[in-house]
This record gives sequence, structure tokens and C-alpha cells, in this order.
Amino acid sequence: MRVYSFKIPKKKPIFKEDTKLWLIFIAISLLLYISFSLFLTFKAYILKKETKELNKKAYELKLKTMQLNEEKEFIYIQKSVFENIMIKNDLTKQQIKNLLDLIPDPITLEKFYIDKNKLTIYGITPTKDVYNLLMLPPLESIFEKTVTTFYKLPNGWYRFKSQNYIQSEENETY
Amino acid sequence: MKLIKKIKIPRVYIYGIDVIKNFLFFTLYIIITLITIAFIIAPSIKTFKKNQALYFETKQNYLYIKTQYNQTLKELNELKKQNTHILTAFRREFDIQNFKKFASSFMQIEKIKKDKTSVYKQNFIKTIYYINANIKSPQDFYNFADALKKYKYVIRVYFPIDFEKNKNSIELKLKIEHYRLKNLNALKAEEKAH
Repeated sequence: MRVYSFKIPKKKPIFKEDTKLWLIFIAISLLLYISFSLFLTFKAYILKKETKELNKKAYELKLKTMQLNEEKEFIYIQKSVFENIMIKNDLTKQQIKNLLDLIPDPITLEKFYIDKNKLTIYGITPTKDVYNLLMLPPLESIFEKTVTTFYKLPNGWYRFKSQNYIQSEENETY
Repeated sequence: MKLIKKIKIPRVYIYGIDVIKNFLFFTLYIIITLITIAFIIAPSIKTFKKNQALYFETKQNYLYIKTQYNQTLKELNELKKQNTHILTAFRREFDIQNFKKFASSFMQIEKIKKDKTSVYKQNFIKTIYYINANIKSPQDFYNFADALKKYKYVIRVYFPIDFEKNKNSIELKLKIEHYRLKNLNALKAEEKAH
């Protein structure tokens, strides 16, 4: 038996309007939460990457700083060696100056030879006493051992050879 | 199933709005929000905060190291500037002709003889030269020793030194030592690298 209705049938939706609204609202919220979370994760990843790069740069800079410090040290070494050499040059000059100042007026210096631990002087003295009084005492005060040899000249003066020694190996002067 | 079927949710409408359904949806929304915060957003924030703190700490450390590097570089450049003469003098190979020209202001050089070369204090090379020369007075020798301070090579006057008086001059025999850096090629490469 057929049943007839006076109403025209309407399509019945699965979800009602308000239900749809709620579902869309919840879906959008979820999407926003996940987007925010993804954004944070991405930011965290970027920060981690930048931290890694900074660490690498810091390590390289540390190495470079170490190299620069080594270079600085080496410059100080060079400076020290140079200054040491110049001081020694000054000392050598001063030693020769002192030696020449040591020679008294009556004595004529002909030749002298300076080595690390030895000084040999050749000269002419009017008498042995002049040498022994004026030149020997300062030499004996400086050197540990002094040996002098005299040769008589035809005019009555003496040619002398004075050999002076220092035993110390540290002292590289006379 | 029977029990569920037995529970009848009352339907309350205010101005045509189903209050109970909306309340349930609101509760569902709150629960979803709380769960998302607890399991997705909070761990992300935690990781982000942790990474951010680490980043700032690393950046601070990096800036400190960079400042130190710049400071050291500045000091090094200053040091190089102050000691240009010394640094270049140690890098030069010895040229006998140049030395003769330099020494001619103080003495007349008769002969220069190169002797042995040896390593000095690990990084330097020392070469010995023997010189025969004539000077007018000891003052020439003193001036020569003083002028070495500003000379382009690093030279040390060393023993034995022999002074012998001639008719009008003094015959001088002395030993000089020339100092230079041991590994010039390595140094040049290092300079290029900076």
C-alpha cells in the first residue's frame, strides 16, 4: 500500500548547522595549534642550527686567537733576541773602550787580541816598572791569570806581551 | 548498549539553540585544547626555550671570543708596527755587498770570509763571517757597533777581535754573526694566510 504526503520531502543533512559550526571551529583551532607548534619547532631547529654554526665559528676564532698569541710570543722572542744581540754589541764596544782606557800614557799599545776568555796585549813600555805599576794592577784585578813577557829593545825600552785569562765559561768577555 | 540506549539526553532549547549539545561541544573543544597544549604545544615551547637559551649562551660566548680575537689581533698589529725594523731585519738574507757598503762609512774592508752556519735558539740561523778591515781610530769601531742597531740585518760583533796598529791605521780582524729566521718560506706562507 502506498502512502502519500502533502509535504514535499526535504534533504536531511548529516550534521546540523550548529554542529557544522562547532566542527569547523574545532578543526580551525586544531590547525592553528598545530601550525603554532610547527612554527615553534621550526624556530627551535633554526636556533639549534645557528647555535651549531656559532659554536663552529667560536672554535675557529679560538684557534685563530691561539695562532695570534703564538705569533705574538714569537715576536717577543725575536725582540728579545734582537735586544740581547744589541746589548752584547754595546758590551763588546764598552769592553774595548775600557781596555783602551786602561792603557797608561807612557805605554804604547801595538796590538791586542780579545777572545772569549783571553786577552793578549802587545806593546812597548819605557821600563818594566812603569808597566808593573801602571798596567799590571788593573789587569790582575780583572783577570784570574796574567802572564807578561818582556823583550828588551835596542833603545833600552821593552816590548811586552801580556796574556790574560779568565777561567769562567759563563763570562764570554775577556 | 541497552544502558546507553536507556540514557536519554534531555533536549533543552533556548531560542531554538540546543543548550546541551552546545555545552558538550564546548567541553570537547576545551578537552582538545588542553590535550593539544599538553602534548604538542608545551613540548614545542620547552624545546624552543631550551634552544633559545642555548643560542643566547653560545652567542654570548662567541661574542666574548670574538672580542678576545679582535683584541689579540689589535695587539699583534700594534706589536708588529712597533717592531717592524726587528721583524724585517730577521727576515732578510745577508748580502755581503750591502754590508760592505754599510761598513764603508766606518772601515775599509779588505776581506770577508763566510764561515759555518748553525741553528740558534730553535727558530734562528746564525752565520759567522770573518772580516779583515782597516780603521782610522777605535772611534770608527765604536760608531760601527752603534750603527748596527739601525742596520737592516741583525749583526752581532763577536770575539775574537784583533786590533793591530799600522803606520796610519789600525788593522782590525773581527768576527760577526748574522742572525735570521730559520724557516723563511713557512713564515711567508703564514703571512699570506692572515
